[in-house]
Amino acid sequence: MGTYIARRLALMPLLLLGVVTLVFVVSRTAAADPIASLVPERLLGNEEVVAAARARWGLDKSAPEQYAVYIKNLVQGDMGTSFRTKQPVGHDLAERLPATIELTVAALAIAAIVGIPAGIAAAIGRDSLVDHVVRLFSLIGSSLPVFWTGLILLYVFFVQLEVAPSPGRIDLRALPPDHITGLYTVDALLGGDFRQAGDALHHLMLPAFVLGWAVMGIIARMVRASMLDVLNQDYIRTARAKGLTGRQVVLTHALRNALIPTVTILGLSLAALLTGAVLTETIFSWPGLGSYAVESTRTLDLPAVMGVAILGGSMFVVANLVIDITYGLIDPRIRVS
Amino acid sequence: MVTKRFGYLILALFATLALALVACGDDGDGGDGDGGGTATEAAAGNKIADDQKPLVIARAMDTLNGDPHRAFCDTCQIYISAVYQTLVALDHDDNSTLIPRIATEWSASDDLKNWTFKLNPDAVFSDGTALTSADVKWSLERLANLKGSPSFFMDGVDSIDTTDEHTIVVHMAAADASFPAKMNAPYTAIINKALAEANGATGGDDAETTDAAEQWFLSASAGSGPYMMESFQEGDSLRLVRNENYWGPTPKAAIETVIIQEVADAVGQRQLLEEGAADIAMQIDPDTARGISNAGVVIQSVPSLNFVYVGFVVGTEGAVGSDIDLNQDVRQAIQAAIDYNGMIEVLLGGDGRKQATAIPNGFLGTANLPLPERDLEKARKLLASGGYPDGFEMDAPYWSTNVYGVDFNLMMQKVQADLTEINVRLNLQPLEASVIFADLSDNKVPFTAIYYAPDHPDTVQYPQYFAMIEGSRWSGRAGGNQGPIVSATQQDLYEKALLTDDLDERERLYDELGREMISDAYILPLANPNLILAYRSDLQGMHYSGCCNLELAELYRTTD
Repeated sequence: MGTYIARRLALMPLLLLGVVTLVFVVSRTAAADPIASLVPERLLGNEEVVAAARARWGLDKSAPEQYAVYIKNLVQGDMGTSFRTKQPVGHDLAERLPATIELTVAALAIAAIVGIPAGIAAAIGRDSLVDHVVRLFSLIGSSLPVFWTGLILLYVFFVQLEVAPSPGRIDLRALPPDHITGLYTVDALLGGDFRQAGDALHHLMLPAFVLGWAVMGIIARMVRASMLDVLNQDYIRTARAKGLTGRQVVLTHALRNALIPTVTILGLSLAALLTGAVLTETIFSWPGLGSYAVESTRTLDLPAVMGVAILGGSMFVVANLVIDITYGLIDPRIRVS
Repeated sequence: MVTKRFGYLILALFATLALALVACGDDGDGGDGDGGGTATEAAAGNKIADDQKPLVIARAMDTLNGDPHRAFCDTCQIYISAVYQTLVALDHDDNSTLIPRIATEWSASDDLKNWTFKLNPDAVFSDGTALTSADVKWSLERLANLKGSPSFFMDGVDSIDTTDEHTIVVHMAAADASFPAKMNAPYTAIINKALAEANGATGGDDAETTDAAEQWFLSASAGSGPYMMESFQEGDSLRLVRNENYWGPTPKAAIETVIIQEVADAVGQRQLLEEGAADIAMQIDPDTARGISNAGVVIQSVPSLNFVYVGFVVGTEGAVGSDIDLNQDVRQAIQAAIDYNGMIEVLLGGDGRKQATAIPNGFLGTANLPLPERDLEKARKLLASGGYPDGFEMDAPYWSTNVYGVDFNLMMQKVQADLTEINVRLNLQPLEASVIFADLSDNKVPFTAIYYAPDHPDTVQYPQYFAMIEGSRWSGRAGGNQGPIVSATQQDLYEKALLTDDLDERERLYDELGREMISDAYILPLANPNLILAYRSDLQGMHYSGCCNLELAELYRTTD
């Protein structure tokens, strides 16, 4: 297993080099000029300003030269400076990532905690009222676009019922907790400020639910289908014939096998949400990676786009690796070959 | 049995989620949620002189650059004018009158080539050190030498001398009556030289390559204004804290902390404002404003100095319409075919004004300019005399954006609909900024829409950008691949305006120049949108400033 993990990790730089090269080539073939993002429209006719900006940001060099400089800096751990924020891309990603991790982990936790039992319940009570409710709830969650559910839930819980807090990670007027991990709930707890931890948790719930609902629907349906499949297997019949209780059959024999596809969904959802929760982040003014990625792409902020691509690629590689390892833990018959 | 238990478990989970949301309900300063009609006047009450409750401004921030000499955006204007000071300021009640700020007085030599500014000896930076002529000289030289976006404010400056600790003399290459007005632009802010240099800033001739303070300016400030930067997190918030060493000349800020919170859209801003989570919503459009019915919110529609326009490029390649001769008759035909009144109704619900030419209403020289009117018969005749009696087809790429409450998509659809009346068919192409402006630079755009906001209170900035004179942006752009277009008449009027500080004469010259710009019809202003000020009713001092958008230090709350 150790060798397998080491080999997968060793291949990661090669994969990322491919990602970087692909993004670089695509961005350089775009019919747009990043200088329009660096210099205000009114000054694009000012040749001195434009030339100074091109020189300062390395855009006066040929594409191969730019690529070589970028790779050389990247090897030294420098992902460049964002055209847009004027900060090192590594700094930007480090600042944005905790917000997204906090949101994504909470969303997936909600999705898993609700989705897995719901799927099991629906499978066991196939065609019952519970099954119909779960399937309807799952269908709505996975069908409705998150920007719509986000806006509606914000309107209902924040504007109308006034039970949800305003968008943002904490009360707009409050200072954020001292930076330890960047996760506000965790940092506030570590700092012993339970009031602020509660505030951060309160702000987290609605966006996490909106984001989690979509994944929850997929998980519940996946678990239901897998459970139905597993519950019809001979070994389940055997287990029942041996006199095991329904709970023992479901939780001990059926669930572990039914969870394998769910783990795949959870792992890939985690990687996708870490860079793709842009709509939820925008609606809830959540300063995470998704909005950073979109804004960087929109403005042709090339260093930032590359940085996000590298981070996103790494996440997918790691997520896939973790999924593979988890398979073995869930089902010992699955071994890495 | 198992089914039932799981069913209960699921129901319990949903119930827990709902209860948790309810249980965590905000009991703080949250909204009043009360309905009622839109308030039109702020509540009266006593001023809270030392207000500890942070003021929250909901705003879609531009890409903030904290360095005044590199920045160029609306949010930057608000930030810089709160944290830094300029030599001169704008009168609170008159967006065209300069008043002292760091400089107590200023005067010019007879030939208007040498401007002397006397500095207030009481001026100090936020760290308590004195603000002297050395700081002013260094700051203005740095502004020029960085070759950044706002460096053009120093165009025409030959050199700067300090005659004593509180006097500077700016030597110009040519007469420039507008120079003091330029010194009101926030980007000409005076920076604490010693502090900035200690953090990587340079101001010499090589500042373009040696200055390394841009990142530092995103975490700290070095000004003498009423506020200081406390923190900035891109995409989240900008926090300012009151400068306790503030010297004047205006009173110290009443509100201790100001937070500009990133909120991407008008609807989100409105929600925060109505709930009391935000005190000011800065980009509420007229449609959204009309939907606000909260007695705790004040909505004001005030004239602004911003405008949106369409412009022609006569020498283009590769676009549909590149072969069309966009001569003066054709341009004037399009000018006459646009329904300006309808435009203001459709785009702004009536909250805007027509504008005669590319000089906004209210600037010197605009009082007597004729406002545009739709005249389809005239338009058809002009089109025929221009060589296109049957109309033509033309590409119209534009930046798909929303500024000053104007949706550019809607605006261009309205232009397209108006022009079909004279059989001019526009192919609308909404694009991102990085695409449209690259295409404009490559002369691939025959007709497009853009916007403009003023930098300072002098009319001269408009001919410098829009008139067909040497070096103007639109002179070069309108000519496209045929080279810059220069009108000898406009050039002459512009130069004469720079040579005199007689206001009546300058008004006459700008009026004449404005009429020339209307006649050449390269730039067609479509609307001068009002600014919607939306804020909580306990807030006072809200005011649109021509230089700075919103002057934060003027804001205060009142008790009931």
